[in-house]
Amino acid sequence: MTRVHVDLERCLGSGSCEMLAPDLFEVGDEGVVRVLRPLGGDDDLALAQEAVSACPTRALSLAD
Amino acid sequence: MSVDAVAVPGSSGPAAPQVEPLDLDHLDLDQLDLSDRDFWGRPPIERHAVFDLLRRERPFAFYEDPEVPMIEPGPGYYVVTRFADLEAISSQPAIFCSGKGAVSILDMPADLSEFYGSMISMDDPRHAKIRRLVSKTFTPRMLERVVDSVRAIVDDVLAAARATAEAGDGTIDVVRDIAAPIPLRVICDMMGIPEADRTMVLTQSNIILSGGDPELIENQDDPLTAVLEAGIAMGALMERLAAERVDSPRDDLTTALVTTEVDGERLTHQEIASFFILLLVAGNETTRTAISQGVLALSQYPEQRAAWAADPGLDRTAVEEIVRWASPITWMRRTATQDGELHGHHYSAGDKFLLFYAAANRDPEVFENPHVFDLARDPNPHVGFGAKGPHFCLGAHLARREIAVTFRALFDQMPDLEVAGEADRLRSSFVNGIKRLPARLTGVR
Repeated sequence: MTRVHVDLERCLGSGSCEMLAPDLFEVGDEGVVRVLRPLGGDDDLALAQEAVSACPTRALSLAD
Repeated sequence: MSVDAVAVPGSSGPAAPQVEPLDLDHLDLDQLDLSDRDFWGRPPIERHAVFDLLRRERPFAFYEDPEVPMIEPGPGYYVVTRFADLEAISSQPAIFCSGKGAVSILDMPADLSEFYGSMISMDDPRHAKIRRLVSKTFTPRMLERVVDSVRAIVDDVLAAARATAEAGDGTIDVVRDIAAPIPLRVICDMMGIPEADRTMVLTQSNIILSGGDPELIENQDDPLTAVLEAGIAMGALMERLAAERVDSPRDDLTTALVTTEVDGERLTHQEIASFFILLLVAGNETTRTAISQGVLALSQYPEQRAAWAADPGLDRTAVEEIVRWASPITWMRRTATQDGELHGHHYSAGDKFLLFYAAANRDPEVFENPHVFDLARDPNPHVGFGAKGPHFCLGAHLARREIAVTFRALFDQMPDLEVAGEADRLRSSFVNGIKRLPARLTGVR
């Protein structure tokens, strides 16, 4: 199943993903994002793909 | 934020506010001087004509460094106007770094680094560690919690503006009475700045980002000293608040700066001072510019204003279009760390690039009808908050909220607002600022 991978070296907590998909992403106290739950269906996947391309620091990627 | 007062002013002394219109059909790009602040006092239509020409004919135009009293000029700089070039540079921070300076064309003199050597002019990993200290405060989720207080501030400011109009001749200054006080109060609340110090914060912010505008920098022979003194005044405020916060921490950004540790160490004194000033100045000047440029644009395109006023569903795209249109920060600098080639342009280590967001935001390769102000524009991948890369605007989500709340309140509470005179533009290359925008509340008299 496809999941979202966060590169914690690159993530700066810009919150671009959180803006697009607050159900999937949350920037935590450490200033980096965490994925809140596994991707559900096609809607989640589409949102996750949007978040991957919106990330200013290219910290997100999708992996099977 | 910028010490661009240092870097950009021409050496020509105070110039007449009126300059001859550019002959747009016979522009000589070799004669162009983007470091000349008079260029930045020109009407936007002329500037954008120049950007269009540069983008088409000379995508990596080279210009000599400006002459600034008491600073050694460097090797000159390249002007980046195409969206694709700008994004490529911005998203490769290891090759095009910020650490040599991001907010001034010339390298910064050492005594200014104390106050202006913030994370904006730093590279990872240090930049990342410092930025993550405050990331959480500026996320969409956290800002949801302050949106009510932003609304209260906006309501209060608009009521005061109306009172000013009623007490006088029915006129206000959109900048002084609306666009400046809203972001000032929002960021000062977040930082925990006492009421009594806020006027000083506004005054010093204006000097720091004056771009050498003679109205704000009195001594034109020595702009450096004015900017240094502004830093000293802001630094003194930080010292006082920092001492208070160490003894009694609060839930504000200043406390976060002075108490949080990175790798087991507190931030250095210099890092705290420059971060504090960055947050205050950036929080003020950028959103003020977006709001005042937005009010001006809506007055020039009344059909767009009417459509947005009638449809809150437009808020999301309208805010993005205002930021694209205004491009409050005109450019940031990057410096090559190695030799290489980008889209056919060969560069060498040490080459300086000015990323002109204002130009990329009108690139026809990316934006259909780029010179059309379209509040429904979607998608709108503008670089008004910076392009991809680690320095993407920390305050983007905050700015979006402030802009959305402000314009909705203007439509609801000030439908009688009419721009009633010319915008007095800041003569700065760095901030697309407006100093004054006269307006009338027609409901008053």
